[in-house]
Amino acid sequence: MRPAQAPPPRPGFRPPQHGAQQQQFQQHSPQQQQQHPGVARPMPPGQQPMNYRPMNAGPRPANTPAGMPRPPHHQDPNSPHLQQSALRRPSAAGGPMPPSPSNQRPPLANPPFGSHPNQQPQNGAPLFQRPPPIGGMQRASSPMMRPTNVSQPGSPAMARPYQSPHIQARPPSGQFMGQGQQVAPGSPGMNPMGYNPGPPNGQNPSQPPTPKLQSQQYQQHQQHQQPQQHLQQQSPQYQQQDHHLPQQGQDYGAPNAGLMGGPPTPAPQAGTHKPKRMYPTGSNVYSEPAPGYDSTPNGGFQSGAGMPPPPYAGTDPTQPGAQQGSQFFVPGETQAPAFGQSVPAYQQGLQPLAGQPLQPNMNQLDGQMGAMNVGNAGFGGQGVSPMSTVALMGTAPKILDLDAPPPTINLPATAAITQSPYANCDPSYKRSTLNAIPATSQLLTKSRLPFGLVITPYRSVKEGEEPVPVVSDSIIARCRRCRTYINPFVKFVEGGQRWKCNMCYTLNEVPSSFDYHPQTQKHVDRWQRKELNHAVVEYIAPTEYMVRPPQPLVYMFVIDVSYPAIQCGMVATAVTTILESLDRIPNDEGRTKIGIITVDSSIHFYNLNTVSGEPQMLVVSDLEEPFLPQPQDLLCNLSECRSTLETLLKRMSDMFKDTQNVGNALGPALNSAYKLISPIGGKILCLQASLPNLEVGALKMREDARLLGTSKESTLLQSASPFYKSFAVECSKSQVCVDMFLFGSQYSDVATLSCLPRFTGGSTFFYPAFTAAKSEDALKFAHELAEFLSQRIALEAVMRVRASKGLRMSAFYGNFFVRSTDLLSLPNVPRDQSYSIELSYDDNLTIPIVCFQTALLHTSSSGERRIRVLTLALPVTTSLSELYMSADQVAIATLLSCKAVERGMNSKLDDARDALTNKCVDLLGVYKTHMTASSSGATPNLQICDNLKLLPLLTLGMLKHVALRGGSQIPSDLRSYAMHLLSTLPSQCLIPFIHPRFYSLHDMPEHCGTIGADGIEMPQAMNLSSERLTRSGLFMLEDGQNIFLWIGREAVPQLCMDLFGVPNYESVRGGKTTLPALDSDFNQRVNLIIGKTREMRRTAYYPQLYVIKEDGDAALRLWFLSHLIEDRAEPIMSYYQYLGHLKDRVNSGSF
Amino acid sequence: MSAEAMVFLFGVIVGAGLLFVKVFFVILISDLEVDYINPIELCNKLNQFVLPEMFVQAFMAFIFLISGQWIATAWNLPLVAYNANKVMNGKHMFDATEIFRTLGQHKKECFIKLGFYLLSFFYYLYRMILALVNDS
Repeated sequence: MRPAQAPPPRPGFRPPQHGAQQQQFQQHSPQQQQQHPGVARPMPPGQQPMNYRPMNAGPRPANTPAGMPRPPHHQDPNSPHLQQSALRRPSAAGGPMPPSPSNQRPPLANPPFGSHPNQQPQNGAPLFQRPPPIGGMQRASSPMMRPTNVSQPGSPAMARPYQSPHIQARPPSGQFMGQGQQVAPGSPGMNPMGYNPGPPNGQNPSQPPTPKLQSQQYQQHQQHQQPQQHLQQQSPQYQQQDHHLPQQGQDYGAPNAGLMGGPPTPAPQAGTHKPKRMYPTGSNVYSEPAPGYDSTPNGGFQSGAGMPPPPYAGTDPTQPGAQQGSQFFVPGETQAPAFGQSVPAYQQGLQPLAGQPLQPNMNQLDGQMGAMNVGNAGFGGQGVSPMSTVALMGTAPKILDLDAPPPTINLPATAAITQSPYANCDPSYKRSTLNAIPATSQLLTKSRLPFGLVITPYRSVKEGEEPVPVVSDSIIARCRRCRTYINPFVKFVEGGQRWKCNMCYTLNEVPSSFDYHPQTQKHVDRWQRKELNHAVVEYIAPTEYMVRPPQPLVYMFVIDVSYPAIQCGMVATAVTTILESLDRIPNDEGRTKIGIITVDSSIHFYNLNTVSGEPQMLVVSDLEEPFLPQPQDLLCNLSECRSTLETLLKRMSDMFKDTQNVGNALGPALNSAYKLISPIGGKILCLQASLPNLEVGALKMREDARLLGTSKESTLLQSASPFYKSFAVECSKSQVCVDMFLFGSQYSDVATLSCLPRFTGGSTFFYPAFTAAKSEDALKFAHELAEFLSQRIALEAVMRVRASKGLRMSAFYGNFFVRSTDLLSLPNVPRDQSYSIELSYDDNLTIPIVCFQTALLHTSSSGERRIRVLTLALPVTTSLSELYMSADQVAIATLLSCKAVERGMNSKLDDARDALTNKCVDLLGVYKTHMTASSSGATPNLQICDNLKLLPLLTLGMLKHVALRGGSQIPSDLRSYAMHLLSTLPSQCLIPFIHPRFYSLHDMPEHCGTIGADGIEMPQAMNLSSERLTRSGLFMLEDGQNIFLWIGREAVPQLCMDLFGVPNYESVRGGKTTLPALDSDFNQRVNLIIGKTREMRRTAYYPQLYVIKEDGDAALRLWFLSHLIEDRAEPIMSYYQYLGHLKDRVNSGSF
Repeated sequence: MSAEAMVFLFGVIVGAGLLFVKVFFVILISDLEVDYINPIELCNKLNQFVLPEMFVQAFMAFIFLISGQWIATAWNLPLVAYNANKVMNGKHMFDATEIFRTLGQHKKECFIKLGFYLLSFFYYLYRMILALVNDS
């Protein structure tokens, strides 16, 4: 062992102070913007659909008739009252309805850029509970719960620049109606749009679909699809809603006939069919709303077409538009554009509700439903009626529902002891894949549904959101047997002297401080206690919950200063960012410590607490047994050594600027850093731009293109060196967390290096082909690092999930170390990281309500020991249909993605993909067998309940995702990183990651990109299909990690001028870019939309902007196109092909 | 005492030792399940026995081989091959990060090996006694 070279401050150490970074940057030859396409999709760019229409091709035919509000005197004499009452009642009963932005908008805004009809539901939806799954009953409540707003039918919504011509070209609706009427009512084939009316379909097995109908269906489908993608895309939503309404109608109006298996009413279906379309048939529909409505196959479509948002939304009585629109289409106008046509239908559908006292009926119906579901469970196909089944094929997936809240949790009103609206856990903290828990494991097995929890315990709270309530009097009531924390679902017994645990049913004493304040000696009201009113609550923990005093925050930077790191500008950017973020690092009590180690072929420590105030560099070149050159001062208090630290950071990028050293001794450096901080615990931030190549932890360039796409590929996704895993375990023991920032100009072995964060609760960031010379790269990294440093993380945490007796946690996914069968150890809890937990059965459940309680014991970054408790209560069910109705597709997708990643890493990617598809087939198959009339034999369409209808799409998104897609084009680094993201992103970010958001910007309504009541208004998301691309258009696609602006080759010069400030399309530069801020309105709106995209989710990631030119760089273009998951991308099927494949497998019974 | 008896005496002693090691494994693994021990400790404890156990078992098979005990050799060879395969794939050690995911497999393997060693032990004992009887 050699002594440390501990030179005095080196003279050559002090470079010119400023401009250092800039110099650094300029050194680097500007590399070409280099992408990692990761994608090879032989999809020629020319595959765009036929409907190109240049932007400047003149004003769209303004289908204004539809767009105009209807004067009241046109109203049908029957409907107004009903509608009015339907509209008012909800708002009276349903609590406050925030006025929606669109309400204030004049109905006749600018026709070309009218408000987009579906925009409003999107805005409003999160505020309200989605109609619950069970039967039609809760659906009935939806009008109350839905946001009121909704654009008036007459609103400019319809005027969509590029659609109108097609709309006109479309055959008049009468034609569709005619076709629709040929279809046997109730047969699946009758719904060309794939819309499957629940009750009629379920009850009419006697009229099997005929092949002829199917082909007809297909033709119709095609017919629509090409010209009217927008329309089609929107239609499902309306259809769906249409669909519920009839059910309500049945439930309310004719429960016996409709629900109890009474004969369906085909005749009225046929009969009401037409009247439906025509307008004034309110009374008719009123009496038989369901069949009539549902059986209008095209009606759904057309109504979807341009229709303003659904009636739910439209129920604001203050809004004349809703009703006016409904009157607008008098029969004579049937061939006019479809817009608005369905409105009457809607409202007709609603009418049954109107006269009903909604609130009381809810419970009543709930009972009915419950009874029925129970009864139905055994009968398979007979008990279909309460389900809202939708058919998948033949219709574009209704992607707007991706943002819909999960199915409602139907707890009895008395489940919680307080009536607080926060008594049950918010899905953003914790959500279950099933919002009703099967009573037996047999039922779960039979349903094949995945059963698990998705937990984001430490999600960030944005401005305007409710912070987590804190119980600060350190009275922590816990069950003495199972250690459950008291929560809103316990019961007080014996006159309030004791409480009964809701997990194990043990009786516990209520602490006297619940009723009596010992200090003030006054009576206090226990019902005001936060833990009895909130499902998410934080306790300040007393000393029993500490093994040592709360640790301070410790940040240890391990920065790679080898030649590649300096060369790409990583070091310069990093130190600048750290310097600028020093104020943002949480340092409430002035205890935060910071230390810096730089590493190339030797390890450099910095003494930050010198007398002179000059940082002192200490070099250790013994890599075999690295030692700490001095016992203290290498890790310093941020407040005390601030000036020294700043001096060091300012000089650092120049200190190494001439280095030629290509060594990178990461392993020894990590060991040193660990030695330095392990007595306290904390965070090691590794910034690595080259592969570690010295001593322990050395890695080799192991990527072999021949392995990619073969079954051996997963070996590249596993750790190459045992060092990192064992080091991670050591770290976990000492409460040390490692975060990785990886910069790869070449192979960086993300798979191995991300092991460290994976087992220590850290995060990985990866910047492929990073070069700070590109300001976009530097900006992204700087932004993410700064965000990351300023996060108020939790330290020294353990998380335990308790569940009611009979349930057990069987598998955990995410970044942590599993310390015991139900205890996760997290040295650090970063914000917004999600953990998935799979559950299994120990025993059958005999209780009516199951509780899951997650307790996260942690030290907050302000130095307090706290316990965050999340309680989720869910009802138990014995009914398969209820189970399906309460499945949460988003949570399921999150859980499945974690499982697929796990599988892909540990065995083969093929297996992972097969498992995903098999799961889909299983679910569809079970649903078909047990929940639809056609339990055996082939069916022409795939059916699934409404709340799972996007699961096949999400599955396909995963199959086509960089993390899991087959093929030999995806570098293993990118794949590993994507896998890391898939298994850690919270649902909110994961869903866009597997199903990106796609917007059309050139024809977005005028209000998009302006600041509305809910902040910046976003355009409406479109289906991910290249059919949507038009040659003259401008489109934006974002997945939370990247933003793509796609510009067609025939983009008008004005667009280029407005947006990019360049005269024409040819001058637009593709690739990574920053959009200039120009004076034009369009530019500002697009900039706002991009800005909003970057900050609308709870995440530290900063999506980078790429401009994709239609005839630009092929790799970029393919990369962009690979996100359009509804398209065919060899060798993976298009969405429709995939559905066909699923259907074949379901029909062949191979599930 | 004949060579055969000596060989099987060795087998009996080694077999008993292996048996104890496996019982120790099973106990620790059950401890982990009921949370008496944390996975890091468990792996540290178990891992120091993994290679010695395999080595001793292979050595015993080798002794049987050179002493011409074909049945005993044949009985032992599959396990030697299995162990060798595991070592070559680098999967022989207990991994604290994966332990809960693989607990079921480990447990199953432990029980099977336990049974195997138990049978071996009695077989060696029998052969030893047989050899001793034949000697005298």
